[in-house]
Amino acid sequence: MAVVETRGLKKQFGEVKAVDGVDLSSKEGEFLVLLGPSGCGKTTLLRLIAGLEQPTAGEVLIGGQVVNGLPPRARKIAMVFQSYALYPHMTVFNNIAFSLKAQGVDKAARQEKVEWATSILGIDKLLQRRPRQLSGGERQRVALARCLVREPTVFLLDEPLSNLDAQLRASARDELQQLQQRIGITTIYVTHDQVEAMGMGDRIAVMYQGQIRQLGTPREIYDEPGDTFVATFLGSPPMNLVERDTHLIGFRPEHFLPKGVPEVQDNLVTFSFPVTRVEYLGADRLVYGVVAGTSGDTKTMARLPSTVTVPIEPGGDYEFVVPAKELKFFDRDTGLRTGPKPL
Amino acid sequence: MRVPGLRGGVRVQLRYLLDREGLLGPLMLLPAIIYILALVGFPLVLAIAYSLSDVTAGDTSLDNFVGLDNFSRIIKRPEFRRALQNTILFVVVSQVLIIVLATTLAQILSQDFRGKAVVRFLIILPWAAPIALGTIAWLWLLDSEFSPIDLILRELHLLGPAGLLGRDAILGTDTNLVWLGRERLTMASVIMVHVWRLLPLSTVILLAALTTIPRDVLDQAEVDGAGFWRTLFQIKIPLILPIMGIAILFGMILTAGDMAVVYNLTRGGPVYYTQVLPTWSFFIGIEGGSLAQGAAVALFLLPLLLVVTILVLRLARRSEVT
Amino acid sequence: MAQENKPRRSIFSWALRKAAWGLALTVATGLLLLAACGDDEEAPPAETPEVAPTVVEVPVEEFPPGTELKLLQWSHFVPQYDKWFDPFAEEWGDDVGVDVTVDHINLADLFPTLTAALAAGEGPTMIELIIAASLFVEGVQDLTDVNEEAQRLFGPQIDTCTANSYLPTTDTWFAFCHGWVPDPGDYNKALWSQVGFPDGPSTWDDLLVGGARIRDELNVPIGLGLSPEIDSEMAARAIIWSYGGSVQDENECVTINSPEVIEAVEYMAELFDKTMTDEVFAWNAASNNQGLIAGELSYILNSISAYRSLQKIDPAASDDIFFVPALTGPRGDQHASAHVWQIYVIPNYVTGAELEAAKAFLLHLTANYNQATFNSELYNFPAFKSTVPQLYETFESTQFGEQPSWLDRDPFGSRPNDKLKEALSTAEDWVTYLGFPGPSSPAASRVYADRVISNMMAQVALGDKTAEEAVAEAEATIEEIFDEWRDKGYVGCT
Repeated sequence: MAVVETRGLKKQFGEVKAVDGVDLSSKEGEFLVLLGPSGCGKTTLLRLIAGLEQPTAGEVLIGGQVVNGLPPRARKIAMVFQSYALYPHMTVFNNIAFSLKAQGVDKAARQEKVEWATSILGIDKLLQRRPRQLSGGERQRVALARCLVREPTVFLLDEPLSNLDAQLRASARDELQQLQQRIGITTIYVTHDQVEAMGMGDRIAVMYQGQIRQLGTPREIYDEPGDTFVATFLGSPPMNLVERDTHLIGFRPEHFLPKGVPEVQDNLVTFSFPVTRVEYLGADRLVYGVVAGTSGDTKTMARLPSTVTVPIEPGGDYEFVVPAKELKFFDRDTGLRTGPKPL
Repeated sequence: MRVPGLRGGVRVQLRYLLDREGLLGPLMLLPAIIYILALVGFPLVLAIAYSLSDVTAGDTSLDNFVGLDNFSRIIKRPEFRRALQNTILFVVVSQVLIIVLATTLAQILSQDFRGKAVVRFLIILPWAAPIALGTIAWLWLLDSEFSPIDLILRELHLLGPAGLLGRDAILGTDTNLVWLGRERLTMASVIMVHVWRLLPLSTVILLAALTTIPRDVLDQAEVDGAGFWRTLFQIKIPLILPIMGIAILFGMILTAGDMAVVYNLTRGGPVYYTQVLPTWSFFIGIEGGSLAQGAAVALFLLPLLLVVTILVLRLARRSEVT
Repeated sequence: MAQENKPRRSIFSWALRKAAWGLALTVATGLLLLAACGDDEEAPPAETPEVAPTVVEVPVEEFPPGTELKLLQWSHFVPQYDKWFDPFAEEWGDDVGVDVTVDHINLADLFPTLTAALAAGEGPTMIELIIAASLFVEGVQDLTDVNEEAQRLFGPQIDTCTANSYLPTTDTWFAFCHGWVPDPGDYNKALWSQVGFPDGPSTWDDLLVGGARIRDELNVPIGLGLSPEIDSEMAARAIIWSYGGSVQDENECVTINSPEVIEAVEYMAELFDKTMTDEVFAWNAASNNQGLIAGELSYILNSISAYRSLQKIDPAASDDIFFVPALTGPRGDQHASAHVWQIYVIPNYVTGAELEAAKAFLLHLTANYNQATFNSELYNFPAFKSTVPQLYETFESTQFGEQPSWLDRDPFGSRPNDKLKEALSTAEDWVTYLGFPGPSSPAASRVYADRVISNMMAQVALGDKTAEEAVAEAEATIEEIFDEWRDKGYVGCT
């Protein structure tokens, strides 16, 4: 049974369709990531699930029950906001215990639960501090502890790592995933950061313009993008798309290598690749150039690992190859994935 | 090396004089300092000098030092104790009412509903209208004979000879309540007009304060299962407390220092039962010609307001959370 | 450079010349008023005031160019007065080379404005007050010369005016009082007839007996204020004086704590209890007028201005309003304060030609007081009786021949047209002043300004204090105020 399910969920703000017919179903205990650029409706979808917004149409089910019209507190959910939304005038202890107080949990039980949650997160020494006396990482843990004590059926996390600096973010990502696995609570995680999504998600729902464009494991999403949006949104640099008649050929920059580099020599497709610029990034080299398409040249990129030492100079014209199995085909007009086409 | 377009020299330096913060800062502050000295400092010093002399409206020369005579004279007067009590009572009661009502109104106005613009306009109206005009309207509303409020109460059979169901009217069988002729009712009327007058200011201040609360925090409270009252008293009010303190401070100072309401509405009556320090100061200082005693009465406001100000500012600083 | 020598003029010469103007102006005014009253044909024609025969030649020199005379006074209760006064003053200015301006303000703003002008050391040349200005005695000019000149020209001044401008303790004339306003009782004849007083009350006891019956039987209260304001102060004093009490004696010793005053206070409390409603505690200067016009009061103590308003609004209702002189107390004393006075003061900062012009104007105004009385619809009574003989005596009209006096036949359409006579013709016999029987000293004025007397009365009427307690408390306050001014040398009884 799905922990969280949405059926034909729509939310309109005036003329804007923020969420436009989302059918989503999370599995028990999974870490589901909603990924998309800003304004794609992922946060609104999360708020609809939380009950902070009322849907224009469609249903939200939690634990198999329709919860439309129920307030957030009746939905057995816990949520971490992007800003953590700690109560600035309360101590850490009171921040965490607030929801328990609202539920009428007695004092001893509150104490016990707060201690349990804070010891899991390693913030049990901070109970008497106020939020402004905490670091960003500590605040994030307080926000998580606040979720834990409620023993919810689902965690809703809205970009909880975006306020942390890059270094902290990597370790926090790791901790968060470990925590989720340890307590095994179904989690819906909103982010615009594909690294977070790929690294943490059991499954990723890629959203764009209020709709889920593709739902799958990180590998499926990356390797078998369902359309050109997903193909170009994921990957850095994104997938190259070269127009050929009625379709587009897509290939990832890391598969676009100078002729002779791939160990397997058969089944390669060769492109003529005049190079305009080369960026040396240490672990990689990014090579910029153009590939001839049906209606003109298309800017194309190649990412060469530092193990590839073939000299490449701007202004030179090189032959690059892509393994045929790495070519993805999309319909030029709809952008949807199609079967392989003859080249 | 000569950089083209870069020139030195005194004239050029003068051009950038105002870019120096050490100079610009004091320069910008100067008008405020002059303002405070001229409009606050000077009158205060003058009032203290007056209160220690025997100046009258006819003879304003400060040539006769009389020590604390003026203070001992006014303290003996029965009006003094009443004016002091009233000043405190009116300030405290009206502020309590204002804060409760302003919080309620600000809550309502922070929601979206049809006709919000009209309601907002109506609420701000008393503040926009000159206070003298407002109190004159109240003078009519509270008239002993022709009060429209009494008229409505009579129509509803809550007042007057014709009660409901053969019983006496709840508010008495007299045809009028005589709002400004009965001690308690008059005091209530004065407080009511103060509330009416300052409610818009407090409401607007609190409304602005409420909008500073991050949406996430309120959403979090909702997710945490806090109902309306818990959210109001444990989240919203603690968060806007510093600004609320400022609203209370403004309200108290404006009420304590106000003479327009009592002057226009009751002139201190009945008897001197609604006299407050500012009006009594005016009556004996200006109408009674004793500038020295008027100044002495007005100076009693100073310690009162000072205590209030210190308390509120300390509260505001303590509850500062960000 | 020599000043051009202009020919000397005299008040007499331009008074004659102005007579024609005054005549035309006042005829027009009278006609307009009659039209406004909507009177029927039976109403007597408005008589024109004749220039007083007693005008005496007063030499007035042409003033140097640029001389200003800035007058500040209240907006008169009778609007016609201001319409007459402003051009009257400006025309005099044109004749004698003075630039005259007249500003009118609310009467409640007079003292504050004077205080501000004195503090600033600049402002209007003359301010007209409506009550003794002795509180300002230190800041205003000694006007002994112009007062003496007026008495020389126009004869004796009525006591109530003298008391408001002369301070015997220091022997100074600090003001010039040109007029006073009687404060008779205004009663509703239709109501009083029904309880056996067809001619209204004549004693305070009548007022209590009749007023109580009218309230109980006809549901109409009487309206004497018991509030901190001018009308209430005057009513309270009228009762105290008529009961034989006073705030001070002739020697300026405080005499408030006397059996007579206590009796008066007890009387007022009983009068309130039996004849009035709580509205008297919220009384203001307009309450008399509003109540009388609305027909909701059977008796008030007021000038005739409320009646004049009612004549214009509802002539039929005004026919029921009649007047009685000051009521008599238990031992035959009969006193009531004037309603207000017209008192000019000249601040100390006025000097030179401006000061001379101000004084000259005072004499000019006094000489033509018949116009002032007429244009105030008999509201202003003259400080110098000789200047308005038409008020009291039959007079020769150039147009209509011998005419009855204005009090005998009200030129402003009263029905019957002699209804003002009884109360107003005797007014000078019973009219008093602030401080009576002593002078209107700064201390007496301060007692008035602090509303000590009306507060004393009201507290007893409310039942908050006994008469003895209230009087004792008032005495303490009054002694304190008198001591303060005694120290400054302005009050006697040391």
